[in-house]
Amino acid sequence: MKADPATCREFGQWIGRRSLLVGAATAGLGFLSRASFAQAAFRPDREDGPVLVSVFLRGGADALNIVAPYGEDAYRRARPTLGFGGPKGSAPNGRALDLDGLFGLHPALEPVLPLYEEGRLAVVVACGSGDETRSHFEAMSAMERGLGSSEKGEASGWIARHVNQDPGRGGPLRAVAVGATVPESLRGAVGAVTFSGVADYRLDVPDAEESKFRSLLRNLHEGEDTMAAAGAKTLEALEKLRSSDPRRYRPGHGAAYPSTGIATALRDVAYLVKGGFGLEVAALESVGWDTHVAQGAATGWQANLLKELADGIASFFQDLGPKSDRVVLTVQTEFGRRLEENSGFGTDHGHGGFMFAFGGPVQGGKVYGRWPGLSPDQLVGPGDLAVTTDYRTVLAEILERHVGCPDVSRVFPGRSDGRLGLIRA
Amino acid sequence: MKLDRREALAALGGAGVLALAGCNPFRPKLGPGLALTATSSKDPDVRFLDRFGFGPDAVQLTQIKKAGREAWFERQLEAPTGEVPALASRLAYLEIENLSAWDLRDWPIEDVLRQIQLSAVLRATYSPFQVRERLVHFWSDHFNVYARKGLGGFRKPTDERDVVRKHALGRFGEMVSASSKSTAMLLFLDQQASTARHPNENYARELFELHTLGVDGGYSQLDVMEAARCFTGWTEERGIFAQVGSFQFDATIHDTGSKTVLGTKIPAGGGVEDGEAVVWLAVRHPSTARHLAKKLCRSYLGPITDVAPVERVARTFADSEGDIKATMRALFREYESGSVAPVVKRPFDTVVSALRALGAETDGDGPLQEHLEKMGQPLHQWPMPDGFPVAAEAWTTSLLGRWNFAAALAHGRIKGTSVPSLPDTPSQTVSAVFGGGLPEDRARAIASKLGQAPDRETCLAACLSTPEFQWR
Repeated sequence: MKADPATCREFGQWIGRRSLLVGAATAGLGFLSRASFAQAAFRPDREDGPVLVSVFLRGGADALNIVAPYGEDAYRRARPTLGFGGPKGSAPNGRALDLDGLFGLHPALEPVLPLYEEGRLAVVVACGSGDETRSHFEAMSAMERGLGSSEKGEASGWIARHVNQDPGRGGPLRAVAVGATVPESLRGAVGAVTFSGVADYRLDVPDAEESKFRSLLRNLHEGEDTMAAAGAKTLEALEKLRSSDPRRYRPGHGAAYPSTGIATALRDVAYLVKGGFGLEVAALESVGWDTHVAQGAATGWQANLLKELADGIASFFQDLGPKSDRVVLTVQTEFGRRLEENSGFGTDHGHGGFMFAFGGPVQGGKVYGRWPGLSPDQLVGPGDLAVTTDYRTVLAEILERHVGCPDVSRVFPGRSDGRLGLIRA
Repeated sequence: MKLDRREALAALGGAGVLALAGCNPFRPKLGPGLALTATSSKDPDVRFLDRFGFGPDAVQLTQIKKAGREAWFERQLEAPTGEVPALASRLAYLEIENLSAWDLRDWPIEDVLRQIQLSAVLRATYSPFQVRERLVHFWSDHFNVYARKGLGGFRKPTDERDVVRKHALGRFGEMVSASSKSTAMLLFLDQQASTARHPNENYARELFELHTLGVDGGYSQLDVMEAARCFTGWTEERGIFAQVGSFQFDATIHDTGSKTVLGTKIPAGGGVEDGEAVVWLAVRHPSTARHLAKKLCRSYLGPITDVAPVERVARTFADSEGDIKATMRALFREYESGSVAPVVKRPFDTVVSALRALGAETDGDGPLQEHLEKMGQPLHQWPMPDGFPVAAEAWTTSLLGRWNFAAALAHGRIKGTSVPSLPDTPSQTVSAVFGGGLPEDRARAIASKLGQAPDRETCLAACLSTPEFQWR
């Protein structure tokens, strides 16, 4: 994908406008009543707020082969069948796509390399949580609840705590998850909705019966019961989506999404972003990253997953075109994996991951974070990369400077401050 | 619409009503403006059948009314191994019921999955041994094996039959022991790739974290690593004459050194008994009783805030050395003494309880399973070892799938599933769906809203979609 000059020009204009407007716009939204939102539903420009898309890779994705420190000898020594080489020298397992002379992206991530070169992808290394249980469930749960480790803490999700600071803001599709069940990051969010695909989000009854059934449902879901509240929100979302037809959606700018799960989910998000549904936060997930055996290097299990991810993300930003200037997409996973590969040509649960931040507001084309090194005295635990950047630092900055979160300390209580500066001022 | 006093209380939700019924008020906050509420003070027998089984049908409700809950429950605990003839004949054509993993080795995963999904619906809907059926689901989640991992599908029916169902009302330790040698579990958790040189920690970790002690159970990373060494060599038969799908201990890749697990020294030179020792150390650890009691209470009693019932159930579990019947009796006593909080129906519960309430005829096949998938609970396909979630928050972001199921069932649009006769009036619809489980005034209020339905089908669809029907 080449940079589109028209996109860039609009991008520059947007940045100028955005820095003036974003504070005012988000503050202003709070004053809009629900009724005025209903009226505004058909006027996409009123719903053109900043959007955060969070992609969670479940299974503890192997960061060291996603952002490969090919410049470190220890890396290639510990990974005789998995480790990548850099642009020069021998590279029996394939070459990483060079980023800055030390780090390179997994070759399957080639579709997103242009975004890095255009400055719309920031890479954070040695990023993660303080969790040391190496349990998927503990680590995912802690991360989705916005905790530093699996210490006892908030039971709600971090996205939920952001959303609940101002529950009246946004439309019924303000916070969505695409998946089978609600992810923990959204647990407890007022009015969050989950669907497997936006075109499926309709009452499956003949048209003649639809409005009568809907009005019955509305009557039955009055009241304070959790289920009644959930039903009322479901109806709101349904009614809004009926105003357009997601099944007829045609991606823009020549984007052609592959038919993988993550790409299809991103296509739905693009539809919601462009259709003016008041989308603010979307939580997506990709499963299958627990590569204990036969992980593969330039090809194979992990490479296939990364290619699906990269194709999906590249199509997403192509589809959004200039609207990508109000979207930040993050990619994260619950923990990294051990430096040394195991006897099954896979990797065991480790520590120290990575994060990606894509989008117009991102100050990209750069590797962020302090690299702790991979020599034995620099590793932690049973041989893992150390974490030098708290994942919450990245998310907090995006929430605060991009989404306009009123009080980020309520989303991540107990986090020490600090910023990487990866969101443009 | 005017509300009388009782109805106004019911509208306030379960907090008030449960307090009136002599239970602890329960209103945990989920977020601003949202609270769980019990629907209403249901008929105690109806709610009991919702909690300990998959909801009332006409036969079970009559039985329990006649015998009383305790006698009925005792009889349920003595469920025979086999199925009653009526259910056996429905299951008769399912080959997976009798085949081994070896027999199923060349079967496409879709065929295996279809048969185990189908049998789950048929048993839950038609088995008179409802307590056992619900326990089977509890254990199937507790020892969850994702049927789609690798080529694992063909091992799954054996796991469901010989681990979960066989021991559901037996001894917990025997179940963990069977699970530890189930090739479905060993392959799901990568145990087959574990060698002395490079032990794989996955199974050992989940054994402690999920199956026995619980994550706060007091084990360390070192315990996990040592246990993983004990399990090296636990794998599946390999080679030309191997019975694929059967457990095998491969001494050549086993770590024979001495290990220390949970404070117990396991001497050098051991073989398969090293892993067996780990299983029983974990099963007998005091944290296991607490972990199991907590999970059972959460599932059957709801998110109760009082810790005393959990402690009492844990004590029974420990004192009886993991006797599941004794533990269930303790759970029964806690339920009867009023330790009850709202529990949301998971999609499977909504589907099966609707079928049972309406005396529906179902083959349990694909078209019904598709609804479960859209509602968020594709059977045997939870990809992580912790099983489908129980908490209400996991199921309340959108109710669309439930409404679409209700509409499809009522309008006769689920191929292979039908309701024999539709109730004529809104009030008949309410009594059919709720089995008389709602207080008179609440039932009247719903019936009056259903009065706007254009036809009997829509009336039934709306009634099955009510918030009240989504609670157990």
